[in-house]
Amino acid sequence: MTLWRMEIARLLRTRRIVALGFVYLFFGFVGPLTARYMEQIIARFGGGMAVDVPPPTPADGILQFASNAQQIGLLVVLVVAAGALAFDARPEIGLFLRTRVRSVARLLAPRYVVTTVAAGVAFVLGTLAAWYETAVLIGPLPAGRMIAGMAYGVLYLAFAVAVVALATAVMRGRLAAVAVAIIALLTLPILGLLPAVEPWLPSRLVGAQVALAAGDAPADYVRAAIVSVLASAALLAVSTVLLRRRET
Amino acid sequence: MTPAAPTAPAPSGPALTTSALTKRYGGNVALDAVDVTVPRGSVYGLVGPNGAGKTTLLSILAGLRSPTAGEVDLGVDPRRIAVVPDTPNFEPWMTGREVVGLSLHLTAPELPAERVVQALERAGIADAADRRIGGYSRGMLQRLGLAAAVVGDPDLLILDEPTSALDPAGRRDVLDFVSASRGQATVLFSSHILGDVQEVSDTVGILRDGRLLFEGPLDELLVGRAAPAYAVRVRGGATQIAVRLRAADWVSSVDTPSQDLLRVTVTSVAAAEAQLVGALAEAGATVVSLVPVQSSLEHVFLELTS
Repeated sequence: MTLWRMEIARLLRTRRIVALGFVYLFFGFVGPLTARYMEQIIARFGGGMAVDVPPPTPADGILQFASNAQQIGLLVVLVVAAGALAFDARPEIGLFLRTRVRSVARLLAPRYVVTTVAAGVAFVLGTLAAWYETAVLIGPLPAGRMIAGMAYGVLYLAFAVAVVALATAVMRGRLAAVAVAIIALLTLPILGLLPAVEPWLPSRLVGAQVALAAGDAPADYVRAAIVSVLASAALLAVSTVLLRRRET
Repeated sequence: MTPAAPTAPAPSGPALTTSALTKRYGGNVALDAVDVTVPRGSVYGLVGPNGAGKTTLLSILAGLRSPTAGEVDLGVDPRRIAVVPDTPNFEPWMTGREVVGLSLHLTAPELPAERVVQALERAGIADAADRRIGGYSRGMLQRLGLAAAVVGDPDLLILDEPTSALDPAGRRDVLDFVSASRGQATVLFSSHILGDVQEVSDTVGILRDGRLLFEGPLDELLVGRAAPAYAVRVRGGATQIAVRLRAADWVSSVDTPSQDLLRVTVTSVAAAEAQLVGALAEAGATVVSLVPVQSSLEHVFLELTS
């Protein structure tokens, strides 16, 4: 058993990989379906209300997936990440690890990488499901921009997991860390109200997938992607320093 | 005094020493200029009431907390220190074998994998090695903690309250484990169960309110602190015999817990050996037995901490 195998085992044995995969694949399959049959759904469950729904576009299929993936999917990622990264949440487990591994970075690296990869793979699988179903039910999507959208989505998840890493360095408890991470991630779109700042913020990547499917250029999100990568590295570095200083 | 990180290991001498080790939490002084010397190869029992500072001291020695002031001088490689908390716990979805295997990988990857089985067997947890830890009892977790600690062949084994909250059988196993570790590693363990410390320790430190009241060999503590006493069992009439004995100038006190038993405290062992038997005969006592009362750590501890 190594620290890397331990993290993979954590995902598999605690069914966290199932939760991640299920939430993204579920919305991946249901999102385009909802977009395609929105008019019929409203007619069936709208209490007789007549609504004139325009014919869905392929971007609508991705929008239905992304709107759920960015909320419920992201919440699941944050919870899974906190479960892995908050190794001091149970003091005895923190003591076991800290008295055997003097380098906090060595403890943090497998937890961050395995969680990010798992979340990224789940997100990509969900997107592929939504892409396939949209193509079948509504119409084709631009392949290049869809791939760019997936890449930007994965980068945002990597940033979100890094935010959780910092949150666990500030708060010992898992729930508290999730709460801090949510507050931090919700603060970014508020900062994004400043037009000069918005193109640089990682939160810009949240809407990239839908906007790219609708016709935006991938280059519009490069600045936010670069900042996300740099910010993730900085967050992990600060987390390492704070966790090293923490007394158990 | 400047707080210092553990220094490089010395080739010989004590396993560890501390100099004026102090730890404050705000205005609360958890450790107050503590000087500890743990002889290499010893079983060192650190005793003290709850809140005395035992866990704080062990945490600093394990590198988990930083001292406010003072120094820790390690005579062993810091990588060869193993720590077992009072309530060991692990990821509930791992098996015992995996925990010990992870510990071996992290602490002594150069050792063969067979060490995992050996450590599990030594701690008496081999039968449950492939079960998930979520189903382990408290005693099994304690054994697993010991197995995970010794698998890396540590030079210094730090155990924080290893027998607290264990049933008698579990406590016996842990004490046997500590005794068996003598000669293989230096053992530093804390406890407020004085009988445990007296049974397995050869060196004792007594901590109260963050101060080290005594440190030294257990024998020296017990012999040097308590006045010599004898338990005399007689065939009735203890009260009358006590009156006669109290008149002797070499007798400090006489207690009579029952009409058949006297506890005679004397000023010196030599005087008692020369005169106690005769004095009992003169008092008309029919003596059933006469044995020296062993001074216990509990008596000395209460004397020191009261």
